[in-house]
Amino acid sequence: MPEGFAAPGNRSLMPIIQTRALRKTFRSVVRGEGLAGAVGALFSRHYEEKVAVENVNISIDEGEVVGYIGPNGAGKSTTIKMLTGILVPTSGTIEVAGIVPHEKRRQNARNIGVVFGQRSQLYWDLPLRESFELLRAIYRVPRAQYRENLDHFVEILDLDRFMSTPVRQLSLGERMRGDFAAALLHNPKIVYLDEPTIGLDVVAKEAIRAFIADINKRLGTTVILTTHDLADVERLCRRIILIDEGTVIYDGKLERLRDEYGTHRTLIVHLKDPQPDFDLPGVEIEHAEPPTVNLKFDRRTTTAEALIRRVTERYAITDVAIVEPEIEDIVRRIYLEGYQKPPARASEL
Amino acid sequence: MLAVLDPYFQFALKAMARESTYRFEVFTSIASLALRVYLLRVVWVALYARNAAPHGVPLHTIITYSAVALLMGLILDIDQTSLLHDKLHDGSIVVDFMKPISVPFYLFADGTGEVLFHAALIVPSLALALLIVHIDVPSATVLGAFALSFFLGYFVGFFLNFILNCVAFWTLEISAVQLIMTWVTDLLGGQIVPLLFFPAVVQNAIFALPFAAMFSTPLLIYIGEIPPERYPEVMGLQVAWILALGLIATVIWRAGARRVVVQGG
Repeated sequence: MPEGFAAPGNRSLMPIIQTRALRKTFRSVVRGEGLAGAVGALFSRHYEEKVAVENVNISIDEGEVVGYIGPNGAGKSTTIKMLTGILVPTSGTIEVAGIVPHEKRRQNARNIGVVFGQRSQLYWDLPLRESFELLRAIYRVPRAQYRENLDHFVEILDLDRFMSTPVRQLSLGERMRGDFAAALLHNPKIVYLDEPTIGLDVVAKEAIRAFIADINKRLGTTVILTTHDLADVERLCRRIILIDEGTVIYDGKLERLRDEYGTHRTLIVHLKDPQPDFDLPGVEIEHAEPPTVNLKFDRRTTTAEALIRRVTERYAITDVAIVEPEIEDIVRRIYLEGYQKPPARASEL
Repeated sequence: MLAVLDPYFQFALKAMARESTYRFEVFTSIASLALRVYLLRVVWVALYARNAAPHGVPLHTIITYSAVALLMGLILDIDQTSLLHDKLHDGSIVVDFMKPISVPFYLFADGTGEVLFHAALIVPSLALALLIVHIDVPSATVLGAFALSFFLGYFVGFFLNFILNCVAFWTLEISAVQLIMTWVTDLLGGQIVPLLFFPAVVQNAIFALPFAAMFSTPLLIYIGEIPPERYPEVMGLQVAWILALGLIATVIWRAGARRVVVQGG
């Protein structure tokens, strides 16, 4: 291909990850309370069907960075395990890069990289370098590519100082950086990151986030990120999928979520004189600490300008500030209230 | 073909490297072996002083038997697949299932690497044992048959351990079963007391068990109690056990792998 003609890349019209009506149920033993219950469970078993994932339809294009978030036990890990092929769905279909993961687990494994924040794939007793060597053999990475990738990772993840240190002696931050390099040595098309920044300090978190952004940009790697740290999501993901109680309750752009759910803003007003009996009919006072008052308003019914005008009609002010809702607050609200929401609304978004 | 095997070769190498990081254990295992050789010599000498040689096995033969059995134990006493149990227990097995490898072959390669490292200890251990006892050396033919039978016994042991560790797919915890297994192997494998010394009524049954195929068969070949004309029969039985246990291991592994459900969801 002549220079100057940018190749369209391997981008196909088919999404790289597609699930349809995905469902997974687990059977668990129901046991009575206390010792009697524990002993009883040894002899007679009553099973209970627990739905972990229900009717999950996800379609992800190559090169996307998607935040897959939800409260504990929402079904995130179960979905990821099905995408990696280690759990077989109860019903529904999955295709990852044209492969049904649980039918061709090993073939699927060549296309993916996985990082668990709470679990390492590095060899505990051996120096970091040896784990990389082993992974080179496992994924049959050509020597030249291995050298190139490793050099790059060593540089941007600053691995040099501890390449010869046994993994058990590494700090959490060092180990995580090692795990990231390990997961990406074979240039996977897709990486699943499960709580990759958990327990890390601010500097290490930022290093990891920059690394994720870099591989996505440079190699077009598709990234599925599950996390409880919404700062990760804000920094990296344009799209988020929210799951709760096994069902997808939101799938779309992050900003849209903010628009849709973050309808309340806060106007912070600094009054010229403390006004202990500050009052504005029909306006909710979120917090008052004279001379500062926080007013909550719905941006769909009131504009900030109108509210400021109403305040200045009654009181003299020195300063105002508008606070946008934090994504953290929005998600918390959805976790709490989302269940009552008509599901149709979320899917219409 | 070689490229396919390369990861497993690397697993074995890494397992050797891992074992070598625990240097203290190396010294203690050699020292403990020397101590056991000495103690067994004391016991047999005392027993033979008051009793006629059982089954006509002379004292020097029984001491040879014990010393060789203990040296074999350097390899056969290792649970090469304990990694499986550890991984099931802490849930890290998921990471292995997310790799393009055959997990049972990985476990086999890792176990073999571990074993090969410990096999290297045979040389210093043997040297130390020779300072304590005299060990008879049979003819080259017998030695060759012993080596082959020992090799077969290794596979019998591997599958027994593998099956045992697979139990952790269901129970997560297997230490009690393991303890029982150790006792049974010690007693019925013929590592401590030759199975020849057992009452005739139970002998046939015990010889037919897989435990005898691990220790007793190669040992009785070594001391000449099993003559060359019986080699096909006894080694045939070892092979039969390998096939049978291999089949059971495959079935139990498949069932276990299907139910890999790791904590948390």
